[in-house]
Amino acid sequence: MLKENEANQGEAGIAEDTLLRTIEKFNVEYCLALDEGRLYDWANFFTQDCRYIILSRENFDAGLPVGLVYCEGRPMLEDRATAILETSMFAPRYLRHFVTNTFVHYKEGDEIHSGSNYLLTQVLMDKPNATMHQIGRYVDRFVHEEGVLKLKERQCIYDNLLLENSLVYPV
Amino acid sequence: MGWTLVEGATELPADHGVMAVSISGERVAVFRVQDEYFATGNVCTHQFALLNDGFVEDGCVECPLHQGRFDIRTGKAMGSPVTEDIPTYATKVEDGQLYVDLDRQAELADTQSVALEDKPSADLEKSDGRRFVILGGGQAAACAARGLRDANFTGEIVLIADELELPYERPPLSKDVLLGTASTQEATVLDRQAVETLKIDLRCGLSAVQLNTGTRTITLSDQSTVEYDSVLIATGARPRPLPIPGADLPQVHELRTGEDAISLKRALKRGGQVAIIGGGFIGMEVASAARKLGCEVTLLEAEGRLCARALHPRAARYLHEIAEASGVEVRTGTRVSAIEPHGSVVQLNLADSEPLLADTVVVGIGVVPNCELAEAAGITIRNGILVDRFGRTSANNVFAAGDVATWPGSNNAQLRLESWHNAQEQALSAAKTMAGIETAYDTVPWFWSDQFGHNIQMLGLPTPSDEFYVQPASQDGGEVIYLHDGERLSGVVAFDNTAAIRKARIWVSQRLEVSTLLGFLKTASDSAGDTRVSPENRRKLMNNPAQYYVWPEKGLRRIPDWVYTDPAIYQLEVDKIFHGSTWNYVGLEAEIPEAGDFIRSNVGPTPVVVSRDEDGEINVFLNRCSHRAAEFCRELRGNNKEFVCPYHQWTYDLKGNLSGIPFRRGVGGKGGLPSNFIASDHSPQKLAVTTRGGVIFASFDLNMEPLEDYLGPRITEEFDATFNGRKLKVLGYYRNTLPGNWKLYHENLKDPYHATLLHTFLVSFGLLVAGNEAEMICDETGRHGVMASAKSDAGKVSEEDSKEMRAYNAELKLKAPEMLDFEDEFDSRWSVTMMTLWPNLIVQREMNTLGVRQIVPNGPNEFVMNWTMFGFEGDTDEQQRHRLRQGNLMGPAGFLGMEDNEAMKFVQDGMKHSLAGEHLIEMDPNTEAGTADTLISEAAIRAMYKYWRKELGIG
Repeated sequence: MLKENEANQGEAGIAEDTLLRTIEKFNVEYCLALDEGRLYDWANFFTQDCRYIILSRENFDAGLPVGLVYCEGRPMLEDRATAILETSMFAPRYLRHFVTNTFVHYKEGDEIHSGSNYLLTQVLMDKPNATMHQIGRYVDRFVHEEGVLKLKERQCIYDNLLLENSLVYPV
Repeated sequence: MGWTLVEGATELPADHGVMAVSISGERVAVFRVQDEYFATGNVCTHQFALLNDGFVEDGCVECPLHQGRFDIRTGKAMGSPVTEDIPTYATKVEDGQLYVDLDRQAELADTQSVALEDKPSADLEKSDGRRFVILGGGQAAACAARGLRDANFTGEIVLIADELELPYERPPLSKDVLLGTASTQEATVLDRQAVETLKIDLRCGLSAVQLNTGTRTITLSDQSTVEYDSVLIATGARPRPLPIPGADLPQVHELRTGEDAISLKRALKRGGQVAIIGGGFIGMEVASAARKLGCEVTLLEAEGRLCARALHPRAARYLHEIAEASGVEVRTGTRVSAIEPHGSVVQLNLADSEPLLADTVVVGIGVVPNCELAEAAGITIRNGILVDRFGRTSANNVFAAGDVATWPGSNNAQLRLESWHNAQEQALSAAKTMAGIETAYDTVPWFWSDQFGHNIQMLGLPTPSDEFYVQPASQDGGEVIYLHDGERLSGVVAFDNTAAIRKARIWVSQRLEVSTLLGFLKTASDSAGDTRVSPENRRKLMNNPAQYYVWPEKGLRRIPDWVYTDPAIYQLEVDKIFHGSTWNYVGLEAEIPEAGDFIRSNVGPTPVVVSRDEDGEINVFLNRCSHRAAEFCRELRGNNKEFVCPYHQWTYDLKGNLSGIPFRRGVGGKGGLPSNFIASDHSPQKLAVTTRGGVIFASFDLNMEPLEDYLGPRITEEFDATFNGRKLKVLGYYRNTLPGNWKLYHENLKDPYHATLLHTFLVSFGLLVAGNEAEMICDETGRHGVMASAKSDAGKVSEEDSKEMRAYNAELKLKAPEMLDFEDEFDSRWSVTMMTLWPNLIVQREMNTLGVRQIVPNGPNEFVMNWTMFGFEGDTDEQQRHRLRQGNLMGPAGFLGMEDNEAMKFVQDGMKHSLAGEHLIEMDPNTEAGTADTLISEAAIRAMYKYWRKELGIG
């Protein structure tokens, strides 16, 4: 899948591994913030001019832009964090993210195009079991801002088209 | 036979332990009470039930079936409904083991009573000189005779029974006697020995023809006379005659007497077709016996539901269901106009349908009380002989009890009850009062029936309009219906659940407050309606739902839970609403612009295909292969020339016509379809189609009125404001399940009251405040609605209004406020309209974010919501992005949409997890139902249910 480093060896290969590990570490911290409900921290994983969209695979495949969540710019992420934390009414719940199969797709200038699979589980207080709330993949564009990796774009593309009732927290 | 070891008896719990053993084929119950052991027969003498399954307390065992109690020391039957004692056996403990001897009765510490016989009064030889006369030969008469002696009446008892048999009870006649598992003798309640022991002057085959209350003289049918000091009239009732020609044919039976039972048993044993006229308890029990004997049974009931007089509609529905499940054809609302001989059988002519042939006809249309004697004597009659709580009639020294007596009841409702229990208890209190011990009859009315392998018991006197809680079947027994008048418990009906009846007896007698009852029933229960209505029974059952569902008396201001939770109601909605005369949204024209384009969709729960054919026409037809029912179209959308069912490749063209059948003519001249098979007769069902403004609607009713008429002028105007001729552009979909009843979604958007309270976001940023210009518009029918409002500036919220809005928070500011910008692109005074188009469409115009939402119901407790978000052809990139950004308000993750979905789940959870009840829909009393000019109104919800009830035929 690596366009630029198909041989994936030597120094370039090592740099690739390091980048992959950096992205994986980023995702661990990203998920930790979400699983712990630190939504303003979550917004800080993004650049100021970011795009963050949660959309169904149905829409993505058909080239349709509508997202369950559609944010242009970090202020919209922060507004969403405020809405969830300050104004929204919903049943209490725990969510947990599992991210695997991270890979670097290609680099284009400063931007790193990469992706991962994700699994989001949800536990409501009135049921013993966790449900698989979403299963999908991240399609990401990363950049470095002052040496720190940030998301310029994250599209969360979920396979299970039929969402169970509601999606409260970001993915 | 001697002593037999009973292993394990000494390990019984010391506190009321009980076990069943079999000794030489005899069923024996062994009881332990501390260090004492008792052994008795283990079979109830009333009806077959094992006593070890019952409850032991206070030295008695209570039969699990009908709560008859026996003293475990003496075997004595302790009264209603048991009269015959159980045998007792001697016990002894040796070397830590228990032994029982079947040949010996239990030895009693105090030998004052002998278990197996009526107690002969020691003083009976010394009569007090009075003579009490009892008229009648049934349960009440026999019970009164015993009751007089129990009350130590030592005078003369004369019992005048008009039949030749010894007094007998009637419950077995329609059950075991018909089946041949019991003889009529076993129904005897006063046998020769008892007559002798109790010194009763029994005169069978005689009846009273005249009563002179002045001279206290009765003239009998043999012209002899009897003088009395007191008389009890317990002459019962006789079958109500069927007032139609042919009722006297030999094939036509009734069932009241032992003779009737024997004659009917003979007829039923011959099998064949049995027609039962009358769907009361007698009719139902005869139907049950006839089915067991292998007859084909049709039950004809003139009323709209079974047991209309005696049973709450909810319980009647259950009986209807079990009768049908047992193979009885139940036809309610059916009148018989005549019975005619037809060869060896008879023909029943029915008022509204084809005649019915039957080998045997049974008439059970109720009884008329035998009160002519009393009436001629000038005694007050009110549908029966009117008595007080002590059984006293309007004439001195004249009492009445049982089927013939009308009793004040609670709140002086003047009821004539026809139950075994009523005969027993009323006769007992009358007898005691006659004997000088004033005893009021005010036990809780209790009734039972055994039919189709089920035991049904009812306590109290509920009325059809009572509300109810249902406790579903559990391991403790079958369903229990608790009926109440809104404040207090009025009755209980239990199916195969004697434990529940036992518990509820005291609650009903105390008329427990509903809130207290809820506490007692706190074990989490799914009171969400009867989930056991089998689909095949629903349709028949629901011919007349008004007979089974009674709306609360408070009318439009209440909505009972079963509206949202009952599977039979849901089925009715699918039939009468989604498959009825309604326009259902199926898609947008923008989704299928080209010939061959198609989408999968639904009308109600039913899958359909929406396709555009070569002529540019839109077609909607069932997504169901005519061959083997396969849902042949599997893709969400696409383009093709035809549809091919993958199973056997049957092919359908774009208009939904069956166009190709592989190997139709077989191979090599063999196989294939019959030559006269016409493919065009077998196309999937096609629906009527209409469009407006790019929106596609379909209907199962091919004669639907035009959409404009269906919507009405006000709704059409609002519809056209959104769909104003610009070409739509689909921007994408959301799909979610919602664990609530589908109507809750309509109600949520006919409920402007919730908007300022639930949606803090909306209010915080000034999109909707209580003082906004707003209107809740309804069409004339009440089925459609538009919740409309005009955006105002949050800065203008008055102090007064903001106090009313719990959610208002002047501190909150958006960092990206452009999300809420409103570009006025519509010719409308409203910036927001939420349109509910009956039955399955919501049109969202939330400023500039636009969408249609399709409701696909999936049972009473869940539906799927398909959101199609759109803009317009020619939108600039920035316009489209504005719609997408503003879209964060809606959908299942939207700031508003998510809260609605959550709230509706809470509502359904409340109904599913708590006890059943009603919703309070009282807001805005000045508008009964319809358009409201205030947000604090529920008048639109009331309007919707006014329409819904009419459509479903629920009063």
